[in-house]
Amino acid sequence: MTPAWLLDIVAAAMLAVAALSAARLVAARPWRRGGVIIDTDVAHLLMAIAMAGTLTPRLSTLPDSGWGVIFGLLVAWFAVRVTRDIRRSGLRALAGGHCAPHFVHSASMLYMVLAMTAAASPATAGMDGMDMSGASAMTLRYPTLALLFAFILVGYSIWDLDQLSGRRYAFGAARVPGIPLPAIADSAALTVPGSAMSRGSGPTTPTTGYVRGAAGAVAGPVPGEGAMGERLPRTWGGHRGGHPPGGNRAFLLSPAVTVGCRIAMGVAMAFMLFIAI
Amino acid sequence: MSDLALGRAALQGQLGAEGRPAAASLDPRRVLQLGLAAAWLLDGVLQFQPFMYTKAFPQMLTASAAGNPSVIARPIIWNANLASHHLVPLNTIFATIQLLLGLGIALRPTVRPALAASVVWSLAVWWLGEGFAGILGGTANPVDGAPGAVILYALLAVLLWPADRSAQPPPYVAARAVGVRAAQALWLVLWLSLAFFAVIPANRAQGALSDVLTDAAAGEPGWLAGLDKGAASLVAGQGLAAAVALAVAFFVIAVGVFLPRRAARAVLGLAIVLAALIWVIGQALGMILATGATDPNSGPLLILLALAYWPASTGGPELAR
Repeated sequence: MTPAWLLDIVAAAMLAVAALSAARLVAARPWRRGGVIIDTDVAHLLMAIAMAGTLTPRLSTLPDSGWGVIFGLLVAWFAVRVTRDIRRSGLRALAGGHCAPHFVHSASMLYMVLAMTAAASPATAGMDGMDMSGASAMTLRYPTLALLFAFILVGYSIWDLDQLSGRRYAFGAARVPGIPLPAIADSAALTVPGSAMSRGSGPTTPTTGYVRGAAGAVAGPVPGEGAMGERLPRTWGGHRGGHPPGGNRAFLLSPAVTVGCRIAMGVAMAFMLFIAI
Repeated sequence: MSDLALGRAALQGQLGAEGRPAAASLDPRRVLQLGLAAAWLLDGVLQFQPFMYTKAFPQMLTASAAGNPSVIARPIIWNANLASHHLVPLNTIFATIQLLLGLGIALRPTVRPALAASVVWSLAVWWLGEGFAGILGGTANPVDGAPGAVILYALLAVLLWPADRSAQPPPYVAARAVGVRAAQALWLVLWLSLAFFAVIPANRAQGALSDVLTDAAAGEPGWLAGLDKGAASLVAGQGLAAAVALAVAFFVIAVGVFLPRRAARAVLGLAIVLAALIWVIGQALGMILATGATDPNSGPLLILLALAYWPASTGGPELAR
């Protein structure tokens, strides 16, 4: 068997990703006027927690059915986003876009939950959550799907690494000044009732959009989506006043950190899929 | 980060190249390097499989010594014994090295050291882990992965080395680092050796190919096992004819890079199709689904190699020159 300490190390790495994603969500200050929540951070947080629980039973949190619902919703959410990306940019959105990898990550997790649940032996049937350690080692039904997902995950991870080292992704949070209205008209950004934008801050007031995360995925797109985004220029990271945040916060909120988390999760997921085939 | 947070234009502004078609400006050699990186990463992850932490792994290493001269076999046995006594730490180190090679090639600043290290590691594994894939023992079978998947990693690392030998645009990626003549020679040696291995006595026996295909079906999912068994029954008793047909195909591919651009493309297309068929049917996708695979086998690497020789549409001299 794959040694338990190795699974613990990968689980620890996933907890670190979860902590980083949580820190990003907090740093984005969604409770403040104009705060930002990023759907991928919510997805990373949930997936990392689920993966840690799968790798190390004592970190298990929700039952399979709960994770199944969560990942099903994430799959639906990112499927919509990928479809929109493809409509806008064509098939290159699958390689250059941000949502396609997250769609694959979510689908892989959903597959793992469903395939493992279906294959659960009577000995493990009473356990909460997925578990791939010890005697109750997880095996996956439809292993060809596992192989397919693992190949795609590895492909995206390698691509992300190349793009990250090619400095496609910034290591600091950049300011996004005055975006022309038509340019962001197709944004799926939503405001939270009570936020600065929903109160109708003037177009000259730099603020940030509140973006629906996983919770939004539950409800799916709602009427009026993007409406607030059409009104206002935004800054990144929830910083008010139109100035980019600096220092650690800037780094924490940088695209590179998200992509780094995505790489770690992609490799860890491929690892999990292969050891469970 | 999702563009949800910013709107598309904002994202484009922030991420710089986000709005540009990322792949459009990507160097074809870099794309192939990333393919090699993915293969190493897969190798590394596969090496972490539970099977590799059992005694079956050192037994597999020991088995690769069979048929080799003692000077070659002794280090293999030594390595297998070492792995047997320190299975968990050694296998973890092996897996981690391969993982790091993949990550290193994918990271632009470390591509050179990672490629160089991959050549050294490949040669070590080819000897100590694969026993030169049975080349010296007369059991090498191209359908089964000869001359060894891992040596193809080394070959690709050399051909995809990030250097340009000539200021002139080369006819294909593989010629950029080593030059046209050396690239042609390497291709010729590889595919002629495959043609040779296809018709050695062990592989032209009546049931040789069908036995390989039947073995490949073991432990595979139904659809893949069905494919393997179907193919095995198709070539049952036709070992010699199948071996000769394969050898002829390999020979045609070997000389393909000396042909004019159009003909070369057709031959390289044949190489890709044949490698894909060998990978899916002959190698059962590297037997990953049956567990116990240490790599995806030679099929994907042969495809990657053929792509490295794919003639550029513009620029460069005719291939035969």
